[in-house]
Amino acid sequence: MSDTALKEEDRTPADAPRWWERGDVRAVFLIWLILSAVGIAFAWVPAWLMGLSASSEMDDVKMTMTWFTAIAMPVGAVIWAVMIYSLWKWRYRGEQPPPDDAPGFQTNPPTVVMWIVISAVLTLFVFAWGLVKIAAISPAMAMTSAATSASSGLRVEVTGNQWAWNFTYPQLGNIQSDVLHIPLGEQTTFAVSSVDVIHSFWIVQMAVKVDANPGAITYLTVTPTKAGTFEVRCAELCGLYHAAMETTSVVSSRKDFDAWVAEMRAVKPVSSMTEGGA
Amino acid sequence: MRRLVITLVTLVVGVVFVAAVGITVTKANAENQLTVQPALSLGTVDTANGKLPHVVLELSAWPDSRSGCHGQDGGAHPDWVTFCNTTSLSVPAHALVTVRVHQYDAGEKITNAYFAKVHGTADGMAVLNGKSFNEIPPDQVGHTWTLRGIPSPNQDPLFVSVPLQMADEEKVGDNGYPVPNVVEFSFYTGGPGKYFWNCEFPCGDGTYARFGGPMSTQGYMAGELTVV
Repeated sequence: MSDTALKEEDRTPADAPRWWERGDVRAVFLIWLILSAVGIAFAWVPAWLMGLSASSEMDDVKMTMTWFTAIAMPVGAVIWAVMIYSLWKWRYRGEQPPPDDAPGFQTNPPTVVMWIVISAVLTLFVFAWGLVKIAAISPAMAMTSAATSASSGLRVEVTGNQWAWNFTYPQLGNIQSDVLHIPLGEQTTFAVSSVDVIHSFWIVQMAVKVDANPGAITYLTVTPTKAGTFEVRCAELCGLYHAAMETTSVVSSRKDFDAWVAEMRAVKPVSSMTEGGA
Repeated sequence: MRRLVITLVTLVVGVVFVAAVGITVTKANAENQLTVQPALSLGTVDTANGKLPHVVLELSAWPDSRSGCHGQDGGAHPDWVTFCNTTSLSVPAHALVTVRVHQYDAGEKITNAYFAKVHGTADGMAVLNGKSFNEIPPDQVGHTWTLRGIPSPNQDPLFVSVPLQMADEEKVGDNGYPVPNVVEFSFYTGGPGKYFWNCEFPCGDGTYARFGGPMSTQGYMAGELTVV
């Protein structure tokens, strides 16, 4: 038992320091304060590591990541502060081996209640935050085929195939491409499926992802906010070349998008079975 | 002292274990290394992209592995469909690459009609037995030759896919296999990089939606193409 505890035992109840006056508590608090400050100061790092944002969905994800990291830092710092201080202050330095009987822990009801209440409040907060964010994107996820057909905006049929993606534009004469072209600032609805195993269609910088299931169609909607070339990956292990099942998404102005569509529509089919073919 | 000895022994055992795993994996990779088939040079050619080196890759697609490139008995999987002579290919950078495939296998309807069309070739076309085409009926597909790379700032993008029309099983050649359809197509390479190719017509052993077995095995229906 520490000297401080012994001294405390010798004191009368009237002389006992209040819990916030105890040296151990103040030391732990100071360590917690420093760790929390450092953690919160760097709470932006995880979102920064996620890279470029090309949609409002990605902006939401990055903001959520930053807020949750900032909120989680003080919580984690409590554990780290108690652990660091305990390892230093109460490390056994007596004769080896240490005695079997160690001082027992004593419960402190106010501390337990405070810990439970704070944890509950934080949990409810992140739960509510998550519900709000999911509600914002769920309308697209719950779409039926009829609803997506009637919705405004571009519709792209995404087919996952071991090990390549291909995209079909039913509103544009069923042109097909291995590169996803979508117009900037316009809502695009994806109807995603697979012809073999389960894949997962993921536009990385737009933070939208949905499984591509054989025999079923899943939907997602995105409105790109940045022009450029972005990554499309398969996010569900699907065989030998799963890692190579990547392509690009080109977000361009409406004018450039229309030019690309015109270029694709200009390609005339020449079948191997027609006269002059095989 | 005893604790020190135990700690050292634990460390040594750990290092030996990790080293053994590394050596085993390296050895397995080395055994799976395929003979690289470099493209055959045809000199240079005038193209829409200027004067470029012109090379050709000769491949064949067989309904089983007994044609010879896996050994006379067909190797470990004599019944597996296969490309020959190897699926590990090498072509020069900034070149026009012509691929000529002798397709000996029958076929059926492909699961994704996208791959019944020609994509990514130099002129958007391919040639089947001397006649140009850019699509074949989806129910006449024997195999495909589909090349792609992982999009990366370190290498140029490349996506080429050509359907290989099924051979007529009623026309049998002297080697006992159907008379092959010869499909020829060309594409441009950019800078150096590593790309992957495979057949997108699932005709494997029934596992993984018929993409198991030979479809997922380098040396049979999947391989690598290195641009050097």
